[in-house]
Amino acid sequence: MRRTTWWLATLAAVLLGVAAPAAAEVGVTADRILIGTSQSFSGPLVFPGTEEIAGIEAYLEYVNQNGGIHGRKIEWKWYDDGYKPQDAVANMKRLVEQDQVFCILINQGTSPVMAVVPYLEQKKVPLMFPFQGSSRLHGKKYVFTSFTYYDTQTQIVTRWLVEKKGFKRIGIIYQDDAYGKFFLNTLKKELEAKGLKIAAAESVKRGATDVAPQVAKIAQAGLDACLLALVPGPGAQVLKEAAKIGLKKTKLISSGPLTDEKFLILSGGVGEGVWGLSLWPDPVRDDSPAMQEYRKILKKYRPGHEPNRYNLYGYFYTKLFCEGLKRAGKDLTREKLIQALESIQNWENGIIPPVSFGPGDHQAQDQGFMVEVQGGRFVPISGWLGIRDGKLVESPL
Amino acid sequence: MRAFQRIAMWTGAAAVLWGVKASLGLFVVNLLLVYVIVAVGLNLLMGFTGQISAGHAGFLAVGAYVAALVGMHAPQVGAVGALIAAGAAAALLGVAIGLPALRLAGFYIAMATLAFGVVVTEAILQMDVWTGGADGMYVLAPSLFGFPLDSDTQKFWLVLGTAVLAVWTAQNLAGSKVGRAFLALRESDVATETLGISTAAYRTLAFALSAFYTGVAGGLFAYVVSYISPDAFSIELSIDFVAMVILGGMGSIGGSIVGAALLTVLNQYLAVLQDFKALIFGLAVVVCMILMPGGVSAAWKAALERFRG
Repeated sequence: MRRTTWWLATLAAVLLGVAAPAAAEVGVTADRILIGTSQSFSGPLVFPGTEEIAGIEAYLEYVNQNGGIHGRKIEWKWYDDGYKPQDAVANMKRLVEQDQVFCILINQGTSPVMAVVPYLEQKKVPLMFPFQGSSRLHGKKYVFTSFTYYDTQTQIVTRWLVEKKGFKRIGIIYQDDAYGKFFLNTLKKELEAKGLKIAAAESVKRGATDVAPQVAKIAQAGLDACLLALVPGPGAQVLKEAAKIGLKKTKLISSGPLTDEKFLILSGGVGEGVWGLSLWPDPVRDDSPAMQEYRKILKKYRPGHEPNRYNLYGYFYTKLFCEGLKRAGKDLTREKLIQALESIQNWENGIIPPVSFGPGDHQAQDQGFMVEVQGGRFVPISGWLGIRDGKLVESPL
Repeated sequence: MRAFQRIAMWTGAAAVLWGVKASLGLFVVNLLLVYVIVAVGLNLLMGFTGQISAGHAGFLAVGAYVAALVGMHAPQVGAVGALIAAGAAAALLGVAIGLPALRLAGFYIAMATLAFGVVVTEAILQMDVWTGGADGMYVLAPSLFGFPLDSDTQKFWLVLGTAVLAVWTAQNLAGSKVGRAFLALRESDVATETLGISTAAYRTLAFALSAFYTGVAGGLFAYVVSYISPDAFSIELSIDFVAMVILGGMGSIGGSIVGAALLTVLNQYLAVLQDFKALIFGLAVVVCMILMPGGVSAAWKAALERFRG
């Protein structure tokens, strides 16, 4: 029985012309490396998508102009998935089977990323730094993840509020779906571990524009702090409403990717005093040498793009990817790239805390720092915060 | 001549699929065939009875989730059982939408179905205990008579077989009493009633049939993509389905096949563009409509007439 299946499958494979390539390594020749990705050039995440790509291309062009890596120029193919999982799968299969890329660099969004991970793992194609913060990608051999998971972010914020600020009455306004509930549940668990309870929890429907009732209830509850697990539109609405009713006693705290300049612009200048957890230095104003270099390279190779968190992401993780390529050596293979990245220890980069990987540890960053909105921008009010052995630890920025 | 034409058309279709496979991969061929089933099913509703549905992505989603959940909790029924369940669930909902839609006409039906599509995604998000909500869910590989279908190649045969069956059934239906009753409905309600045909029964039947087709396609969609989430079933997808039917030609089964193939392939080829994809896609559809107001099928017929002199 088994045998028949096998023969039938083989026959079908031969008939359809599906044959495994027998090159030294797919996507690598003497003078070039071909990489690719599926991204959002349309759909709801078009702004982050095009900005990430701008950061990626700026760094790759910089590398190529300076001789490439081990004499190889990096070439790329990007396809649009419009945030649809089916198109993301179509693009990945096209990249791997038709275009024969070496690896995938930075795709984006929960659905499009989740949809392609089993396929890439099965084909043993490295997936470098997808832009998403769910811890479900933990422990995959061919996937390297980027920033602090959303649950760790909530842990850091809660512990900092309770331990460093002595807050006791903490609440949350969350989006009424799996995303918002994820923050709600993590907050609940963290507070319970400290012997506290959520003092108030108000939900907002996806796409809602009126948040007055929720803000009123939060004001009544007399909270010390209120987390906002929302997308920028309703998040900005909460800030406006809180300003309108003069809510001063309660600190509002933006959670997850909400801590972003775009959110401040939407709120129209009423965000003063809001706190949040930032994963990045200020893309526009931070003047460390590494950040100055980032702005210089972005300006030279992608002059139409202003510095922001998304193209900084693309730039930084492409740089980290290139570090892996360098360490993998001249005889580049997918397996060697994985090993080379896993060998990275305390990689000083001047942008985020030193990066370390290892077998079974494929996450680049697990810290963040608290910021306060002052004069329309995010100003640091803590050092780098992280969780080590279940405890909150702080190191200087 | 007829037989020659038919052989030429089937050869042409096979050649197109082969070309798509060579340039874009077998996965896109599978997706294309799934959309062919949707377009043919939607055409039964739109092209034949003249009721426009702008929410067929909703039926596709229902079929996809039902097939995925059946595969997870009752794997013994296999792919055929799961697909029938997917179609039946969508058909039931089709009747539920079709009944109130009896009181509506033209654009009002489009509005009601548009809302349906949105409600389905919202319902999937709320039922996250079963559906995984916004995180989506992975779909187990289907099995056909005990054989697991893991690879794109194996799934291709399942999807192709179903698509051929769907097209064949639709073609036979079009020539039957039901098909003629549908066409009568499109032209005039009053005239249809005077012929002794129940407009209510046939309108509802059209909704149920169309939803059944789309539900089955949804099940295949789940198998082909292996992962489903509400993001897969957006309003844009519903609009794409309407565009496939109109572009192919209202009331033409062959047209729906061509329409589905054209839009799927166009979408994949335009994926290389970072900026003007939506604009070019829209422009291409508008230009096609101006040059071929009756769709591809009408243009094809006109060309044949001219050729014959």
